[in-house]
Amino acid sequence: MEEKPNTTQNVNLTKGTLEMKFMKKSKDKVLKLLEDEESREIYSKEITEEMKRAGNIVFIETSIFNCKKMIEGRLSFGGMNPEIEKLMTKDSQRLDEIERSKEKDISDIEMAKGYSSVVETMQNKFLKKSKKKFKKPSADI
Amino acid sequence: MSGGIGELVYPGNILKNIRSNKFVCIIGPGLKRNDNLPNTLIVTRVGTLRFESPNTYWVDSLQKRYIPKRGELVVGIVAKKAGATKKQKVNINVGDAVYAKLLNTYKEMEPELVCVDSYFKAGSLGVLSSEGFVFSVSLNMAHRLLSIENPLLRTLGKKYKYEIAIGMNGKVWLNCAKTVDVLKIKEAIEIAEKKSDASILNTCKKVR
Repeated sequence: MEEKPNTTQNVNLTKGTLEMKFMKKSKDKVLKLLEDEESREIYSKEITEEMKRAGNIVFIETSIFNCKKMIEGRLSFGGMNPEIEKLMTKDSQRLDEIERSKEKDISDIEMAKGYSSVVETMQNKFLKKSKKKFKKPSADI
Repeated sequence: MSGGIGELVYPGNILKNIRSNKFVCIIGPGLKRNDNLPNTLIVTRVGTLRFESPNTYWVDSLQKRYIPKRGELVVGIVAKKAGATKKQKVNINVGDAVYAKLLNTYKEMEPELVCVDSYFKAGSLGVLSSEGFVFSVSLNMAHRLLSIENPLLRTLGKKYKYEIAIGMNGKVWLNCAKTVDVLKIKEAIEIAEKKSDASILNTCKKVR
């Protein structure tokens, strides 16, 4: 609570006091405050005008290379250029990951299908049993 | 005029409800910020609108002219030699094929190329051996070949010993252990140009 009145006091210090040798630091502070306020005032009008027109989304232009996540076009196969093939390992790792995720997707679906079929057969078993229980006496005899 | 994702869009179409990540949206070729309406994009090319999560939009088009974009990797033939300093001797001659990265591309200036990355290492960039063979493919084909899931080059790699440099500008440099293979691989790429991705995948699956 004591800080606030202090700052206002600083602003209100007279020029003469601020010019004193030991007041150098507070003088700088006051000047900076004033400058900040001024610049804020100047730019606040312009920024709002510009923002009204441009909206709040920033659009960054990029190459199609980044959009499609392409690979580098320098490739070597069958040991033609070992140096290049060393650099290609990163891409092949990425490819493995993609393929693995694809495989996993399929197995997940298959898992679900398989599981649901198990549930169904179990269900059928119980259905049959319950039916049998009721029919048994009449059918057997 | 809706122009949803995966649909055909025309120049002048306006895209609304742009999805952004922390108010940042990445746009690829075929799109421009619409200055008349805040937070919208305007289409500049005919093609299919694509979206990649979380915030990337672009238009897939069959354009023929190459427009250089910063950061793209291209194949080219050196036409003029200049700018060699004592400190960095350049071992490139006129007529050499090079694989280079576009450093900056401004509308008003000639694009600049570099053959080193930001750590001054060549990596995969640099002069391509004069034993190789340079030919052109369509821009679309070059993009398709560079897709990580395209199996064509990998499948050819099982049968032939070769190295290749595919430029985003549609130029391809090819070098094989045997000269005959150059013709075979070039033909394979040319045939694949007229096939769909699905049929390429099918054909490649048959090769073991």
